[in-house]
Amino acid sequence: MKDLLETGLVIGGCSLTTLSIASFWIPKALGWREKLAGLTPLMRELWWTYSIYVWSSHVFFAVLTLGFGGWLMGGTGAAVAMNTFMLLWWGVRLYLQFFGFDLTEIKASRFNRIAKHLLTLLFTGLVVLFAGLLCWNLGWLETGGFR
Amino acid sequence: MTPFILETGLRIAGLILSGLVVANFVAAKRWDYARNLAGASVIVRQVFYVHCAYIIGIIAALAVLCLGWPEMLLEGGMARVVCAFFGIFWGSRVLVQLTYYDKETRRADRAWDVFFLGVFLTLGLIFTLAACYQ
Repeated sequence: MKDLLETGLVIGGCSLTTLSIASFWIPKALGWREKLAGLTPLMRELWWTYSIYVWSSHVFFAVLTLGFGGWLMGGTGAAVAMNTFMLLWWGVRLYLQFFGFDLTEIKASRFNRIAKHLLTLLFTGLVVLFAGLLCWNLGWLETGGFR
Repeated sequence: MTPFILETGLRIAGLILSGLVVANFVAAKRWDYARNLAGASVIVRQVFYVHCAYIIGIIAALAVLCLGWPEMLLEGGMARVVCAFFGIFWGSRVLVQLTYYDKETRRADRAWDVFFLGVFLTLGLIFTLAACYQ
């Protein structure tokens, strides 16, 4: 199980890195600039600020997952807290993917369809990974455990 | 910098962060997000509210951690990385306010502008110190 989770951390970290890089294409693909033009300057500024801080959180998760996997499996209170937070973060995002977003105004191109399925796969994988890590840190899987 | 001072600083940060969570709801009312977004496309509205909720979530989670378990942010390498991230997170928020936000809007609410600059600067300092001196 330890090996499986370590492999999951590498795959999860690489996926988060890919997501962070791919996020640069989202504004263009979804035509954000044009769609935001009608907002007041303050709302536009808030919109971009929130987006960039959410993106920076994804970068931080990628850094943690790729660079500090040992700590995320360390069985400490901090590891439990961090894995719980990331599980909630991606769990909510997975829920929104199915039930939250109304994507009817997004062009139903082949590229957008594939991107949507890839994102669903990524969010599902991240939920499984952080749930697994949480269980490991709580000692519910083999030799892992809270110390 | 003693662990006691850092822990106290993190508890103060927890109080400030709790205030920021409340302030986010006040801001939604004061700047009438609902009316301002009414004319926007559905996806713009949804992304705005989702991102807003995630930001409130991250601030609330950090507030809980700082108020309930500040020692967790002061032990081990991961704690240092987390503190460094939030040092950058809040420090950069000062720069965003100074360089990106509309000057007219800031001038119209100068007292709040200065107040929140102070809040972000304080949070940036506390987390940077926690990252450097633990």
